[in-house]
Amino acid sequence: MKILKVKIAVPAIAAVMMLTACGDNGGSEAAPEASSEAAGAQLPNGMTIKEQIEARQSQLEKVGDAFKAISDQLKAGTPDIAIIQEAAAVVPEATQGMADWFPEGSGPESGIDTDALPAIWENMPDFQEKVGNMQEAAANLNTVAQGGDMAAIGEAFKTTGGTCKACHDDYRLDD
Amino acid sequence: MTASTAQTLVWDWTIRLFHWLIVLLIPLLWWTAEEGMMDWHRRLGLTMFALVLFRLIWGIVGTWTARFVPMIRRLGSLPAYVRDLIARRNGPSFGHSPVGSLAVFALLAALSIQVGTGLFSVDVDGLESGPLAILVSFKTGREIADFHELNFDILVVLIALHIIAVAIYRFALKDDLVRPMVTGRRGDLEPVSTVKVNPMALIASVVIVAASLYAVINAG
Repeated sequence: MKILKVKIAVPAIAAVMMLTACGDNGGSEAAPEASSEAAGAQLPNGMTIKEQIEARQSQLEKVGDAFKAISDQLKAGTPDIAIIQEAAAVVPEATQGMADWFPEGSGPESGIDTDALPAIWENMPDFQEKVGNMQEAAANLNTVAQGGDMAAIGEAFKTTGGTCKACHDDYRLDD
Repeated sequence: MTASTAQTLVWDWTIRLFHWLIVLLIPLLWWTAEEGMMDWHRRLGLTMFALVLFRLIWGIVGTWTARFVPMIRRLGSLPAYVRDLIARRNGPSFGHSPVGSLAVFALLAALSIQVGTGLFSVDVDGLESGPLAILVSFKTGREIADFHELNFDILVVLIALHIIAVAIYRFALKDDLVRPMVTGRRGDLEPVSTVKVNPMALIASVVIVAASLYAVINAG
């Protein structure tokens, strides 16, 4: 089923890309039912769906990098507080505006490789709330990290990690 | 079967302990990973690391039936052995049969890869990671974790084949391989070599394993 979808999607994306290269595509709306065409079409924010998905993946990868950096230090015998502070500052910045990263049509139905589950768009208010919880926890983690109290950092890190997990459990494809 | 050969020791106690600890550990490792009990997964994984490393060293300095070189030599008679099996002319092997040697290499390779990738794995949130993950980036750690998951499926297939093979020996070929893996002994063959644990080899192996474990745990 998935393979079939991809097989259809690839030439369709190529076709759409050729179309967009020729004509003015500025005002086009991403039609959710024409899934494969939606991949190359522009979103209201000016990005194509492919760009949107890749952009959010790249941002969340920064968060992963930052979290791993903090986790590595917390596990180390002699944690480097400077590394923790730098990484903690990355998270609120990298997740700014995250609530807008999941416009209608940027789920798996776009045919583009994404682990975002359709459940996001079925439970948008809950999803938005969970994103908000994460941003709040990440901001707090940053504040605590700049304070330098290792025990408090450990706690805030755990809390923030919990908000990542809370969302991933429901809204990210389990790999 | 004569009285003098009724007690032929084929598997030393370290091999038997290794085998059954692994049987115990694999379901526990799977379960702790499924349940997200990563503290326990790490502890049990490090235990597995120690066991597998010991087994690899024991394959070089251990007792004759534990050693890899005789097993590699036996692979040469694999086609003849399989022909005999099909014709049900199978006789007992002192140690690993050619097919058994193949199984050991496949299982140990899969176990080594599983333990090796586990050391560097990172979870999707960047929260949990193996003891050596500090040496790799988040992205690399994620790719290694994906491979860790894929290789587990390979390991499960190999274990299933192993169990099926032992069942075929037991029920079709009337050769009980489980009992000797418990008692270490089988009664129907002459020993090729004595299977006696050399205390110096054992101490040296344990020291190398302990030092490696210490290095891995303190890598951060």
